[in-house]
Amino acid sequence: MESRGRRRVWLLGALLLFAAGAVLMFTGQGDTAPAPEKDVEFPRRMRSQDHARAEKRRTWVMPAAVDAGVAAPVKPRDPLLAALPRGPGRTAVVIEANALRYSPVGELLMDCLLRDGGKNLEQFKALSGVDPLQDLDRLVVTDEGVILSGDFSKAKYQELLGERVASDHGPGARVYEPGDTTFTLPDGGTQRGRMDTAVGTWNNQMLVFGKSPDSVKTVLDRMDGRGQEDGPPLLDENSTYGEMYGVLAVQTLAKLLGPDQAELAQRLTDVAQNVELHLDTSGDVAMVANVTGLDADKMTDLGKSLGGALSMARMKAQTEGKEDLAQLLDFAKVRPDGTSFKLELAVPLATLQEQLAWCREERQAAERAKTSP
Amino acid sequence: MDLHVPAGSAFGLIGPNGAGKTTFIKSVLGIVRPTAGTVRVLGGSPEDPAIRARIGYLPERLHLPGTWKSPAFLATVARLKGLKVDAGAHARLLERVGLSDAVDRRIGGYSKGMRQRLGLAAALLGEPALLVLDEPTDGIDPMGRLEVRRILQEEVQKGVTLFLNSHLLAETERVCDRVAILADGRVLREGRLEELAKAGARWRVRFAPGADAQALTAEGFVPAGGGREDGVYTVEAADVAVLNAALDRARSRGALLTELKREGADLEAVLVGAVGGPGVAA
Amino acid sequence: MKSPVFVIAGYVLREAASRKFILAFMVGLTLVLATVALSLKLEVVDGALAATRLFGEVMRSNIMSVDVALRPIYRAAAYLVFYGGILFGIVACSDFAPGLLSPGRIEHLLALPLQRWHLLAGTFLGVMTLALGGTVYAAGGLTLIFGVKAGYWTMGPLIAGGLACVGFAAVYAVMLTTATLVRSAALCSAAGFVLLVGGILAGFRQDVSRYLESGFGRTAFDAVTLVLPRLSALATRAADLASSTPLEKGSLGMLLGGVLVFGLGALSVGFWHFEGKDC
Repeated sequence: MESRGRRRVWLLGALLLFAAGAVLMFTGQGDTAPAPEKDVEFPRRMRSQDHARAEKRRTWVMPAAVDAGVAAPVKPRDPLLAALPRGPGRTAVVIEANALRYSPVGELLMDCLLRDGGKNLEQFKALSGVDPLQDLDRLVVTDEGVILSGDFSKAKYQELLGERVASDHGPGARVYEPGDTTFTLPDGGTQRGRMDTAVGTWNNQMLVFGKSPDSVKTVLDRMDGRGQEDGPPLLDENSTYGEMYGVLAVQTLAKLLGPDQAELAQRLTDVAQNVELHLDTSGDVAMVANVTGLDADKMTDLGKSLGGALSMARMKAQTEGKEDLAQLLDFAKVRPDGTSFKLELAVPLATLQEQLAWCREERQAAERAKTSP
Repeated sequence: MDLHVPAGSAFGLIGPNGAGKTTFIKSVLGIVRPTAGTVRVLGGSPEDPAIRARIGYLPERLHLPGTWKSPAFLATVARLKGLKVDAGAHARLLERVGLSDAVDRRIGGYSKGMRQRLGLAAALLGEPALLVLDEPTDGIDPMGRLEVRRILQEEVQKGVTLFLNSHLLAETERVCDRVAILADGRVLREGRLEELAKAGARWRVRFAPGADAQALTAEGFVPAGGGREDGVYTVEAADVAVLNAALDRARSRGALLTELKREGADLEAVLVGAVGGPGVAA
Repeated sequence: MKSPVFVIAGYVLREAASRKFILAFMVGLTLVLATVALSLKLEVVDGALAATRLFGEVMRSNIMSVDVALRPIYRAAAYLVFYGGILFGIVACSDFAPGLLSPGRIEHLLALPLQRWHLLAGTFLGVMTLALGGTVYAAGGLTLIFGVKAGYWTMGPLIAGGLACVGFAAVYAVMLTTATLVRSAALCSAAGFVLLVGGILAGFRQDVSRYLESGFGRTAFDAVTLVLPRLSALATRAADLASSTPLEKGSLGMLLGGVLVFGLGALSVGFWHFEGKDC
């Protein structure tokens, strides 16, 4: 080909290539700016909203003990925290039901809870007089039982617990022993049943469920400052951050690890003293477990072992194609800090939304069915 | 410009600075495209790589990779010429241009003359049909020039067409049989060297002292240099017979011949005659 | 018979091998890799990075899966290889083409039986081979060190290095084309830098465009950056690949192809100009 002809080909080729390049890059990158990547926020300390929440809950002034005629000024406290067990080896986990319900994850969970179109919830409200979505504030699980806090002024105590043996226990508190219960059904009929748990009520603000009336009384006594145990409550006000928090006895945690992690569970019970948990659901679901012990070296070794176990679990999940678990463990890390270490885990909200999408579909279908004639 | 270089000839290009000699060479090689007209080399266009494959070229200021050694350079040029790399042949070629002792040295350490020799070796690679050499002996010592001249003459004897641009007119004169004089981008004169240098019929004659000046003048002998040189005359003779007749007449007048030389024009004279005045160079 | 393009590429590589600063760079790179290899100690427990020691000092760090722990390092390395490599390439390779096109060399080369575009294509190929070699050496060395020390093997850094090479191909094509216009290493470098900056802006064109006042300025910016290679977008994806994190939306293949095709376009402009040039 003559030089002039060849030149024309090169020039034409260049123009075509530039055009093709522009199209390819435009298609490849797209023309919308990618959303900035958000970091997972782990609950590591009290935030301003946590402080404000704790402040609002300081409503209860414990009756002062008369001591040589001098009464020290007593600050108002959060009665629920005062009711928590004391001393090592105890467990108490607080679920901020109200906050959880209005968190992004809570919305998803609500879809799952109400996937029958809210039929069961309506039934429960009618039976108990309590709307868990409105009246329940906190739910505490301890090794003694369960404590609910909120507004229970509309609870049908008489209808539900009227047949039981009951006694007053201090100001505003009443204890119901285990016994028969009669439920009034929506169609007007009744159903009888027996509950083996003792129930305590406190100022229409708290419901205490325990194995025995004594265990319920112990909880109520703590609130009134009449408890026999020494030491502060298991959870300090400064540890009330997140939508779920609490202290787990290492033995309880060891049991949760399962039989295939027996060695790690044993080391955990040998070395660690205390595990404090915090779960944040304000965005992604992130959990921090602060494990404390006495021996720094042993704790570091335990942290390494735990990190290794998590890493192995992640690899196993990846190999077995369990992407969800692998993604959960993607954020897993252990942050050693002397005689303690923090274990962090997180699940991206997007993953949960994907996983729980079926709940929303079922709920919407149920609601459509309810509204259609 | 219209120039024809016959195949197998040794063609010299001379002219003053800025005459366009190097540009002409570049256009012969397709490095510069003519704005008008055509260039035909070895029966084809110089833009055809197949044609250029038959041309060996040594540029005026050959820039060589200083960190390489000469065998590597030749091997690369051979590859670019599409030739098979033959280390033995390359060694012989380097020996031929007088670089056999320098094969282990980096080209950066070569003298200017050595670089020219290596450039010549590169031009000779692949036994080209046409050798285009731009100042091939530039920087080469006198003995080296003799060697280069010998190589070029050998190539011409083998039938290679030689196109030489050299500012050393004596070299052009000794190597080339045809010459073109270029000035301002135009060919002023072109032809066989002896034709260009042909000076007509003037001969320079020296007689032994004592010759009769008047008698010689009467026989057609003119004192050379206006009589400043004693016994030296010039004589016009159209051919050899006329010359000998004039000499016979001088001898009959008692003059004894001691020296006879044809007073022809050398290349320098031809160039000066064609271009006019100083400033003659490659 | 070897293609003249490969011979010219070999010519360029041989020239590069004799450049002292390229050799110094390779030695420097080797020293850095060797220092990292010798001074870094990683304690890995069941696939988790449990402790890191640099020059014997324990570095405070989290215990987590080794691949997750190494992500920031691979990410930083990918950006370093991408932008550092392109910057070094711009400086180190700026005079290859002007050198090859210098008087006394170009006439000799053009008188040889090769096409003019062979010269540019060969130079381009030679420089790209050099860039690829350097990238493989750096990224491969890093992968090897962390692979041996942490037991975590990934092709991510090498793939990221490949993307960097494609980015550099676009930049060098422009530099080569510039060399056919002006035989100056400084101007070739300047052209490379300008394209690099333009390429970074092109990757963020939506963000940058938003800050420009609407009118001719913004339209011109949008039009120019539409054609320019989106180097910063490629760098981000290289970092994502190196750190094994999910890629941003869009097709990497298309983006990569687009940058490469831009480079070929720039090279074609060079061929076009060089074909008509008197040397």
